[in-house]
Amino acid sequence: MPFLFADQVAEIRIGDGKGDWGYPNPFGHYPRGPGYIRMSWVFDTLIWKDQKGYVPALAESWSYDPDRMAFTFHLNPNAKWHDDQPVTAEDVTFTIDFFKKHPYHWINVEDVRLASAQGTHKVVVYLSKPYSPFLSDIGGTMPIMPRHIWQSVENPGTYNDSGAFIGSGPYRFMDFNKTQGTYLYEAFDDYYQGRPKADRIIYIRAGQPLVSLSNGQVDLSNIRSDMAEHLRQKGLVIIKDERGWNKKLMINHKKTPFSDKRFRHALAFAIDQQEIIDKSHRGFGAPASYGLLSIDHDMYNPDTPTYAYNPEKARSLMEAMGYQKDLDGFYQKDGNPLKIELLSSNITVAGQSIVDRDGEVIKKQLEQVGIRIDLVNLEQATTDSKVRNWDFDLVVSGHGGISGDARILNEMISSKYGEGSVNSARYDSSPKLNRLLEEQMMEMDNDRRKTIVQSIQKVYAEELPAISLYYPDSLSAYNPDKGIVWFYTKGGISKGIPIPQNKMALIR
Amino acid sequence: MNNSSRKQYIPAYILAGLVMLAASYSLPRWLPGDFVTAMYSNSHVTLTENQELELRAYYTQRPNFGRYLLDFFTFNWGYSYAFLTPISGLIAGALPWTLLLMGTAHVLSMVFGFIAGVEAAWRRGAMIEKAGVGSMTILQGVPELGIGVILLLFFAFHLEWFPAAGGETAYVNYTTGRWVLDLSHHLALPLVTLFLAYFPGNFLLARGSMVMVLGQQYLETARAKGLPPIRIRYAHAARNALLPMVTRFGLRIAFMVTGVLVVETIYAYPGLGTLLFNAIAMRDLPLIQAIVLFSSLVVLFVNLCLEFVYGLLDPRVKHAS
Repeated sequence: MPFLFADQVAEIRIGDGKGDWGYPNPFGHYPRGPGYIRMSWVFDTLIWKDQKGYVPALAESWSYDPDRMAFTFHLNPNAKWHDDQPVTAEDVTFTIDFFKKHPYHWINVEDVRLASAQGTHKVVVYLSKPYSPFLSDIGGTMPIMPRHIWQSVENPGTYNDSGAFIGSGPYRFMDFNKTQGTYLYEAFDDYYQGRPKADRIIYIRAGQPLVSLSNGQVDLSNIRSDMAEHLRQKGLVIIKDERGWNKKLMINHKKTPFSDKRFRHALAFAIDQQEIIDKSHRGFGAPASYGLLSIDHDMYNPDTPTYAYNPEKARSLMEAMGYQKDLDGFYQKDGNPLKIELLSSNITVAGQSIVDRDGEVIKKQLEQVGIRIDLVNLEQATTDSKVRNWDFDLVVSGHGGISGDARILNEMISSKYGEGSVNSARYDSSPKLNRLLEEQMMEMDNDRRKTIVQSIQKVYAEELPAISLYYPDSLSAYNPDKGIVWFYTKGGISKGIPIPQNKMALIR
Repeated sequence: MNNSSRKQYIPAYILAGLVMLAASYSLPRWLPGDFVTAMYSNSHVTLTENQELELRAYYTQRPNFGRYLLDFFTFNWGYSYAFLTPISGLIAGALPWTLLLMGTAHVLSMVFGFIAGVEAAWRRGAMIEKAGVGSMTILQGVPELGIGVILLLFFAFHLEWFPAAGGETAYVNYTTGRWVLDLSHHLALPLVTLFLAYFPGNFLLARGSMVMVLGQQYLETARAKGLPPIRIRYAHAARNALLPMVTRFGLRIAFMVTGVLVVETIYAYPGLGTLLFNAIAMRDLPLIQAIVLFSSLVVLFVNLCLEFVYGLLDPRVKHAS
């Protein structure tokens, strides 16, 4: 240990409801937020984020030249791999080439034309076309890999010996116990930003964060909103995230009657967002913008169309479409009763399975208007697979990433970007929307991009291929006695992960 | 039934085993959902269409049934999709925890339930017997989930005497003695939960069987011979009340994986239940297949063993034929 600091702590224990998120390297971690976070202790990226925005990581400085469509990164000359080799520009160019050959499913390097090392510590990355999310999705997300190790690896998916975990991050990976769902990391003495504040980071599987935090078994965990008061009294610090996760009603807009925009509008008017929050979540949440991005996002559009709860308006839209009420008070058309299946499942947020009654509340609201609902509760993987195959009417679903880069709009709206996602509306029927989505990806000027992104929210909310319902409160609690101040990252860690385990909290 | 006629059962067991193998082989066809959707279909993943097709092709490769049988009997159970490690290792890692928790709970609840049941039946009509039957009937109606949550709230949350998660304190260097203490400390609440869940059934069954046995004439004979009560109770009567207990034990093994799942989940205790639960959520098919098959074959094996135990316990079974 080169230095001894007064505020050095022996270890931090982090609780997680699920436990296993795969091995912490690009080819081993589960492609979910908690999996990426477990890798982020070991592998550094070119840049990173703290509370305020981008900060240097392996790159001390960076710039963009629009004429050449090129990003230039100057690497920190002190950066070392965990096996004491220096981190060089060659490692960066190798990483991009390697991911072109062996895709890392968390980032897309297709729009990078070429990466060129100019000296030991300077890299220029040339784009094949303008790519506005570059800093977020590649600069701030792509783990840099050691060339001297991976250059001889033919099949990275099965490469799993100790070399597979040599990174340049603040922690060395020591163990992943699959039975216990535990991980162990130890501080890297020669980390270029200084030895991190805690000697060891330990993840343990803890299904009851309230209890484990109370009795000191863990120092940091995400919690449910109703636990906050008790934990605060116990002396724990509660932190709250910006609105980066939304519960959403997926609509099968490919089939009737959902293909008619008026019907989707009627659904929106029939749903009372606040009532779902109050009845299903004891008031812990905020109604969502119909344009997907929340008010916390830099590019949020305050002029997005809204559909304030209005059952009368919903009914008149239904009747304009030719629906009439039958003797039971439910809509039918030409003698065919309207009956809609609503799928609901317990959704996992940041590793914790959340039980709620959203499906019941929505069923009640829609039936009050006269739309008969058949509520079906299914296990999540089954629901996902039905959504994937368009085998559904309505699904209560949800996803994060909406506080990160506005690219999330493309993934959540268009099938070109979100074909594989079970949260994407995959809606391509509006040429205007399609054009705007393409434009925002190419616009490298932030202000001009913001204008486009705001238009996207407006058109999306008008078309309404899916209905954002609410942003649940997202909280974590930590033990302040350890001397580490944990925080939620503005825009989420990396591409928008709403978890407060940011390694910058441990950097002096 | 003599030994040779009991051996006639063996082909039936082998046949049942093969049926289970065939059922486990065809399991992926019956399970909705797939690994690629469960694993890769979230907002952060950037799969192109081709990449997804490649993944799907890779994860739907399946051996033919002959190969599957051969692999099974050579312990070549393949790799878990999610863990990228051999399945036999994953099961070997989780099994000791399940055996420790469930095995201990079964044995303790059976031994104590049996003794308590026998003693209660012996005191039939007394206050203590009535109170015992009443309270055990109520306790049997409380699900494991309820008992688990109450114990957790009281002993882990309120009193803070016991940990709420895990099978041991992760990543500490303990001496063997200290490690055993740590294991027991983590085991206590899940074990008591399961014990309280299993005990009433054993108690009521033992008491019921014993009451039936106590009415038999041969006990009158034993009493008339002037044998000490404890000898009458255990050597003459209780031995005959033991048979249904053993049957119950065998049937309970069938719930080895699923039976502990609730408790494993509440206390984040490691074991086969958690492994299976996560495997199903991820649609990690080879792992699901292996755990389901392994646990069903264990049930078969235990029941086969019990066929022989019956004979030892009750000579009437042995000489029935």
